[in-house]
Amino acid sequence: MRDVLETLERWAATGAPVAIATVVGTERSAPRDPGAVLAVSESGDVAGSVTGGCVEPAVYGEAREVLAGGAPRLKTYGIADEEAFEVGLPCGGTVHIFVDRLDPELVAPIAEAVREERPIALEVRITGEDAGAKRLVTLDDEGPAAELLARGDNGIVDTPEGQIFVSSFAPRPNMYVFGAVDHAAAVASIGRYLGYRVTVCDARAKFVTPARFPDVDELVVEWPDKFLAGAPVDERTVICVLTHDHKFDIPTLKVALETNAGYIGAMGSRRTNESRNERLRAEGVTDEEIARIHAPIGLKIGSRTPEEVAVAIAAQIIQVMRTPRPQEVPA
Amino acid sequence: MTPADVIVEAGRLAAEGKPYALATVVNVVRPASARRGDRAIVTPDGRVTGWVGGACSEPSVVREAMRALADGEVRVARMDGECASEGVVEVLIEPVLPAPLLAIVGESPAARTLAELARTVGWRVIDDRVEGADAVVVATMGHGDEDLLAAALRAGAGYVGLVASSRRATSVLAGLRAQGLEEEEVLRVRAPAGLDLGPSTQDEIAVAILAELVAWRHTRPGESPVPVEAVDPVCGMTVSAESAERVEHEGMTVVFCSAHCRARFEAEPERYRVGTS
Repeated sequence: MRDVLETLERWAATGAPVAIATVVGTERSAPRDPGAVLAVSESGDVAGSVTGGCVEPAVYGEAREVLAGGAPRLKTYGIADEEAFEVGLPCGGTVHIFVDRLDPELVAPIAEAVREERPIALEVRITGEDAGAKRLVTLDDEGPAAELLARGDNGIVDTPEGQIFVSSFAPRPNMYVFGAVDHAAAVASIGRYLGYRVTVCDARAKFVTPARFPDVDELVVEWPDKFLAGAPVDERTVICVLTHDHKFDIPTLKVALETNAGYIGAMGSRRTNESRNERLRAEGVTDEEIARIHAPIGLKIGSRTPEEVAVAIAAQIIQVMRTPRPQEVPA
Repeated sequence: MTPADVIVEAGRLAAEGKPYALATVVNVVRPASARRGDRAIVTPDGRVTGWVGGACSEPSVVREAMRALADGEVRVARMDGECASEGVVEVLIEPVLPAPLLAIVGESPAARTLAELARTVGWRVIDDRVEGADAVVVATMGHGDEDLLAAALRAGAGYVGLVASSRRATSVLAGLRAQGLEEEEVLRVRAPAGLDLGPSTQDEIAVAILAELVAWRHTRPGESPVPVEAVDPVCGMTVSAESAERVEHEGMTVVFCSAHCRARFEAEPERYRVGTS
């Protein structure tokens, strides 16, 4: 919904009703993910998309009906679905789309929170008697919606009264890139593509310049370990240590391992990596902790240029973040 | 052809998207027929345009240029005096390979992200045809996938990928078989395209495909095959096993960098250890 927020804000300012169709679930590969929204204004204007064109005409019709006073509705479209063929678009996968009105007064608080990078979620009841009921959720609230929000996920939650769908507007997760090397610029760019808020940090001021790093959210001149010790880290955080200089690597990795960051990667040849691990062990870091470090960083795809290395790192980050973590067993 | 002319020719080849290696003499210990700054272009057919030294250094430069074109790595070839009546000549060899051409056909969100990302890693991207492309990614979400894939296979693209769920991929591949495509061809289609990184968003699928493309680019057999190599037992240089300077010795074929080395070997074969490395 993030991509249509601005438009929604403009429409909401007029006070006129708006219908939104939200992808609440997908099966197999669907063109867009849960949380994607198609919005329709009272005058028939359209913003966003739910399937990239596959079932939009049908969904638009539903939205018009809802605007005309129809009840909220949960629709399913799929490749094996008669309806999908009726609209003549044999797209892959199956999508579940919830169509209802959106109160204009809910839009402003969401837009404001997104601008200020404050986590907020919109919870919508999609089945049961109260289908269409909505409320805003923050991390201070309790319950499954706040848990989804903490992870930045969208999804359906089953409750005794029926299902709810949670659209999370979590601030972008952080990616910290240490070492203002050529690779860092490439990693920063692809990190932004993947939706990260990217910070590049290096102690050497002359390397940390906007000219070298046009595509980052924040440039920091500070010793990496000192910066990381004071930076917010959660399980969505990505830490890339690209300095390949033990003087910076070792203290930075030690701080990184004290956090619950979802991904920690370190650059360097196999040999650099071995000597780095020895140093870490000498400083009391356990093998289990060292195993959390992805090094040499990135999937092995034969990368040569910094840009290709960045692709290998991005692919590894996706893979690691998409692998469910083993449940921690209490000691 | 002066070194400056060589640069002009190099620019012309680059503009035409043709591969070549630029060889530049960077160091000379006299006596030598090349001077620092002498340049030549080596094209994949082994043709040399320009001057980087005489009959002795040229074959070595060509061989190193072929290797550079095959693996894409810059290298320095060092020709040491033993090979001929020359001093030392060091030649910097820089392969200049045209950026691979990626055709992305279709309108899915993953296709758009892939196009932008592929440009950042230096690929050329087109979306209006599959002919002439090194790699083709079909992402139409169901609008004529089979025909586009068949066209890509016919056009000889080295990488052919389909963006789809594995279920739809299976049915598209079945469609290709129904069109009468050889099984060998059908198996060339990567479906679904991309490394398997787990359940992914559209932007993540684009990264997974690009990672697969990078891996494909760097592991596919080079268009300029690296010749099998042997070592000249006299001067220790690595030479092509196809070298014309060769003798049969105790049931083995021994190759040399030059007639000079061959003559020295033939004069006193017992002085040299014969082997391939």
